[in-house]
Amino acid sequence: MNEKITVGIADMKMAKGTGVLITYALGSCIGLCFEDPALRLGALLHVMLPMNLEAGRKNAFKYADTGIRETLRQMTAKGALKTRITVKIAGGAKMFEVNGGSLGNIGQRNIESVHTILRQEGIRLTAEDVGGTVARTLLFDVATGQGCIRSYGRQDVLF
Amino acid sequence: MKIKSFDQLSSLELDTLREISSIGTGNAATALSDLLNREVRITLPDVRIMGYNEAIDWIGGPEAVTAGVLMGMGGQMSGVMLSVQKMEFINLVLETMLNVRVEDYGELDELRQSTLVEVGNILISTFINALSGLSDIAVSLTVPAFAVDMQGAILAVPMAMYGGTSDYLMTIGGNFVCDNKQVPCHLLLSPDVRSLNFLLAKLGVAE
Repeated sequence: MNEKITVGIADMKMAKGTGVLITYALGSCIGLCFEDPALRLGALLHVMLPMNLEAGRKNAFKYADTGIRETLRQMTAKGALKTRITVKIAGGAKMFEVNGGSLGNIGQRNIESVHTILRQEGIRLTAEDVGGTVARTLLFDVATGQGCIRSYGRQDVLF
Repeated sequence: MKIKSFDQLSSLELDTLREISSIGTGNAATALSDLLNREVRITLPDVRIMGYNEAIDWIGGPEAVTAGVLMGMGGQMSGVMLSVQKMEFINLVLETMLNVRVEDYGELDELRQSTLVEVGNILISTFINALSGLSDIAVSLTVPAFAVDMQGAILAVPMAMYGGTSDYLMTIGGNFVCDNKQVPCHLLLSPDVRSLNFLLAKLGVAE
């Protein structure tokens, strides 16, 4: 395997041709693998929250809505076509079963928001491994478009 | 002046929070000591304001598996409190209370899990009781929830809660020392910004 490029929380990295992008320990957060197969251009985005309601809007990649749009913008700036771009997503788990309270289901809200934004942008969602209660580490091989999900106490999932 | 973000705390405010942390963790250590019938001391308590990825590095990397007990705070303060329990701590508790030792988190059956939840519950409740008594703030706690998973994802729970208002995570808490050995069990109090302002005002240090 060639060198891995780490994507942090509220972060996005792109690679062209070759390279493995990795983001660790997605709990309620969601990791999105973007791919334009014709260019072999890939991007991995790690968003934490569904909607950007922040006044300052400093960090676009923290939110599903602004994160997805900014990633698409940067990809099309490199020549990618929105009609060719496909997306695979993982994450949106519920780490703790807490009764009541506001922290209930950020994961579920993230999943719904990602679905909505992708539909609005006309981007095809080709695979997903979302929900549940386990954290996921997501690897995305740009050369092949293969995604891999590592979890604790679960077999690796290729998608 | 009310702060809008955790990184705006003054040094007086930070000192006050460190003191709260010291008292809360100290009380929790006493409770743990009674429970285990051993001497338990605390390391220098800490108040940390960290960026997300910095916080993950601080706890020891994203993928390491750990056990977490989480309780939500309600009433006059909102936020969460976490007890992050690593292997040495788990074995200290299990050996003393159940007379068993585990090598892997997978060996935590229902009884062992519920023991750890109860210990987490006692530590967190004791910490919150001390804070509540000092500041005269009524805090209620939810029933504790338990998870064994990658610690990055466990730490992301408080981050996601306040992500809409802050790019930083604030944690107040400390570590325990038992028989002169550090037993990693982070007690992390993570209030939202509004509650933090209220707490500082109640303690008379909000400028």
